[in-house]
Amino acid sequence: MANVLFIEPDKGLGGTYVQAFEHAGHTVHMAATAEEAIMTVDEQRPDVVVMELQLPGHNGVAFLHEFRSYNDWSDIPVIINTYITPAKMDQARAALKTDLGVTVIMYKPRTTLQRLISTVNEQVRA
Amino acid sequence: MKQLVTPAIILSRTDYGEADRILTMLTPEYGKVTLIAKGVRRIKSKLAGGIELFSVSEITFIKGRGGVGTLVSTRLTKHYSRVVGELDRTMLGYDIIKRLHKATEDEPEPAYFQLLQQAFEALDNTQIPLEIIKVWFFTQLLQLGGHTPNLRLDSQGRPLASDQRYEFSFDSMAFTTSPDYGHFNASHIKLLRLCFGGNTPHVLSRIESSEELASQLLPLVQSLQTRN
Repeated sequence: MANVLFIEPDKGLGGTYVQAFEHAGHTVHMAATAEEAIMTVDEQRPDVVVMELQLPGHNGVAFLHEFRSYNDWSDIPVIINTYITPAKMDQARAALKTDLGVTVIMYKPRTTLQRLISTVNEQVRA
Repeated sequence: MKQLVTPAIILSRTDYGEADRILTMLTPEYGKVTLIAKGVRRIKSKLAGGIELFSVSEITFIKGRGGVGTLVSTRLTKHYSRVVGELDRTMLGYDIIKRLHKATEDEPEPAYFQLLQQAFEALDNTQIPLEIIKVWFFTQLLQLGGHTPNLRLDSQGRPLASDQRYEFSFDSMAFTTSPDYGHFNASHIKLLRLCFGGNTPHVLSRIESSEELASQLLPLVQSLQTRN
């Protein structure tokens, strides 16, 4: 199965993701900040990144620009699962997908664990 | 070889081999310089230190053959940390860097460095609305490129009047009278004059209704920038 990196500042929610994704057969790495996430990508080379955009310190957009500036990480799919409402995301959607290679954008309050797992599976298979 | 020292702002970064990075930096004295930063590919936090975006650093470098020099050292002078705190500000910050990179030749005037530094300062001040920063930035870019519209006379050569409504004529780079359908009035034109007059976004943000006026002017200045 896949090597999944979660960038999630909410530790409680992060713990839930670890349990659910490990149960589904994936290997899970957690990072709470953009800085931690860059180090984890460097060390673990995940197959897919699932991230919140609202992070303490450097936000998710800053992470994505840094992440995509490395050629060897350019093909790692990124799923955004965020509390930012779809209406607010509308302005950023095109830039995130076109410039930063985000493959899927999900609204966290409406995303079930089952749906998140199946989206990760689809991205890994793609 | 002679080492050169200058303030610099990063415009772009990319990989070079296993451990190095190639940075394109904007400097006031040497224009755009492309430099190899050796051994920074595997540093622990790539989002920190003297090669971070939205920062001004003092760099020491050696000019190289073929246009690619070597970065010897960096010392962070100022990091505009609030730019990376809010998503909308961060996205605008990257957009500004991208547009400035695209709009400038290899040896742009020092004013482009000042423009980028001022843009970072404005983005770092969370009290300044983004619409104002956008309009201000586009007008500065237009002015540096030599594309200032006529803000004194209309397309017929008559002085712009405070009680008229206007549209903008891209052909004549001036406002044209349009009593029934004109989108712009004296307040819009005044804000544009202040933008082209070199006022900072901070000053512009203190003008009454400037945020609303800026959002109405944004499509116009964006079109002007795209056309020029």
